[in-house]
Amino acid sequence: MERTRAILVDITKCIGCRSCEAACKQIHGFPAESEAKLSPTALTVIEEHNGKFVRKMCMHCQEPACASACLVGALKKTAAGPVTYDASKCIGCRYCLVACPFSVPHYEWTKLVPYVKKCDMCATRQANGQPPACVEACPTGASTVGWRHEILEEAERRILAGGYVKKIYGSEEAGGTSVFFVSDVPFEDLGFAAPPRQPMPLLTASALGDVPAVVLVGGGLLSGLYWITQRRQAVAMAEGNTPVATTSGKERR
Amino acid sequence: MTRMLSKITLWRTIVALIFAAGLYATYARFALGFARATHLTDPQPWGLWVGLGTLCGVGLSAGGFAIAAAVYLLGFERYRPVLRAAILVSFLGYSSVIAGMMYELGLPWRIWHPIIMWNRASVLFEVSWCVMLYSTVLALEFSPALVEKIPWIGLRTWYLKWHHEILVGLVMAGVVLSSLHQSFLGGLYLLTKGKLDPLWYSPYLTTMFYLSAIPAGLAVTVIALFFSVRSLDVKLDPRVFGEVSRVIAPLLAVYAIFRFVDLSKNGALHYLWMWREETLSFWLEIGLFVIIPLVLLNMPRVKNNPQSLYWTCATVVGGFMANRLNVSITGLQSSSGIYYVPKWTELVPTLMVLTAAVLAFRYAVIYLDIFPKNSAKIPSRLRWTITSTAAEA
Repeated sequence: MERTRAILVDITKCIGCRSCEAACKQIHGFPAESEAKLSPTALTVIEEHNGKFVRKMCMHCQEPACASACLVGALKKTAAGPVTYDASKCIGCRYCLVACPFSVPHYEWTKLVPYVKKCDMCATRQANGQPPACVEACPTGASTVGWRHEILEEAERRILAGGYVKKIYGSEEAGGTSVFFVSDVPFEDLGFAAPPRQPMPLLTASALGDVPAVVLVGGGLLSGLYWITQRRQAVAMAEGNTPVATTSGKERR
Repeated sequence: MTRMLSKITLWRTIVALIFAAGLYATYARFALGFARATHLTDPQPWGLWVGLGTLCGVGLSAGGFAIAAAVYLLGFERYRPVLRAAILVSFLGYSSVIAGMMYELGLPWRIWHPIIMWNRASVLFEVSWCVMLYSTVLALEFSPALVEKIPWIGLRTWYLKWHHEILVGLVMAGVVLSSLHQSFLGGLYLLTKGKLDPLWYSPYLTTMFYLSAIPAGLAVTVIALFFSVRSLDVKLDPRVFGEVSRVIAPLLAVYAIFRFVDLSKNGALHYLWMWREETLSFWLEIGLFVIIPLVLLNMPRVKNNPQSLYWTCATVVGGFMANRLNVSITGLQSSSGIYYVPKWTELVPTLMVLTAAVLAFRYAVIYLDIFPKNSAKIPSRLRWTITSTAAEA
């Protein structure tokens, strides 16, 4: 079942050359100059934390908050692994920006016809058997791509071989992602987010699951109340009184 | 008469200024874009248009479904004189929210997309459908007020007969739809776990939003009634103010208990005494929405005085708005790492839409039969004057 693609980023191997940034910008036709933070024209960036180079990009959650938030289904977790964005559906509500626990989606605030921008793990390239542009450009093998279960095994192998913090970032964050990080420095010191451990869509699933019950029970209850009210009025009428007496109604008559 | 004219001129100036500013803001939003018209950023993607326009707009329009249910489903005839006004307020409220959406959405011409592009896993999808359907319900509920004015008696009779057949169904649908989307507006923020401050984040955000919307909606109804009597020359039995306000206190008490239990269950009680902006905002909200109104509504002097009730209800509305803005802005401030202060061009469109709604309400009350005509027959001992100026005019 784990035939989905995943990326492993080994922070010990990153030399901060920013080849991934450049390749990403080139393939998307963005201006070439490097940016400090993720933006609509920088879908991956290298940030420096405590002397280490940390690559930022979409985590491609197994159960993405953004995809569950998107009311028109523009954001989707594809069967192959990447979380993709269909700009033709987007209405620009920006709920995905609110929902993402990793603050990944960015909005084109300066444009008159603005869209959401985020990494799609080069879904079309991968469908054609090519690696994501950033991985292909990495000269040191700090970023690698593969099947998710194999990538996880590789991460474990490296950690067991020693020299790493005993944690694969992404294995349980937000219920598990498709981008993993291994590091020799604790992730807290590298500016990594600490999102909830459960899949984010679970947070809204139970509320949404209540809809049929609310409709059925609510509808039934209201019908019952209406029936009782009608009955009381009919009885009051038959007894020759004014319908369900109310103080103000009576006096006004 | 001259006094009235001069009064109107002052208000006309204010209205004109709001519209002029609003039109410029509209130009800024659509011709210059978000970056120039707003202070919205990626860490704070939802600002005043969502917090004030949508969350407050929908919540404060909850009076219509509550009053309609009370009259049609529970048989509380005492609310009937204000039924149409309550439905009109809600209808204008929802219309304003939809108008506000045009500013808020990045691609507003695609507002219809959710009709054919479905995502049942999205709370926002449910909200959008409920708002669409409930706005239709409100339009239908209000339609007789317009149809009555059609000169062709055949069409009129046919429509009103048909309307009568479906009315109870409409009211029931309205209650179910309102219950769903009032709660789901809170449900939107369930996904902000870890971001939203513990004073507001709760797995029961849905319940919290629902329980707070009903008293707030009723408070708005009271305000609209007071405005009608005070400025639109409507004659209304003053006791109806007490009747509507009477239910607000217990509703607020239920909300307060629920909120407190929830905070303690979430282990957030120690945040109540921390010296930080969030906590101050929290107490402002609770003070305005719960504490002050509960004290005032238990004072006989307030209970029997429409003007005092009006001010109490204004406090409830203020507290409610504080709550929605706290959830959507204050509570997310520290996790977003930026301090969002809305640009004036964000506030003004909301203000313009609200002004338009108030004007529409005014014209509807003047030209349509919103209030029953015979309610002028008020026992003389109960005749009341809100202010001496209103009485003289």
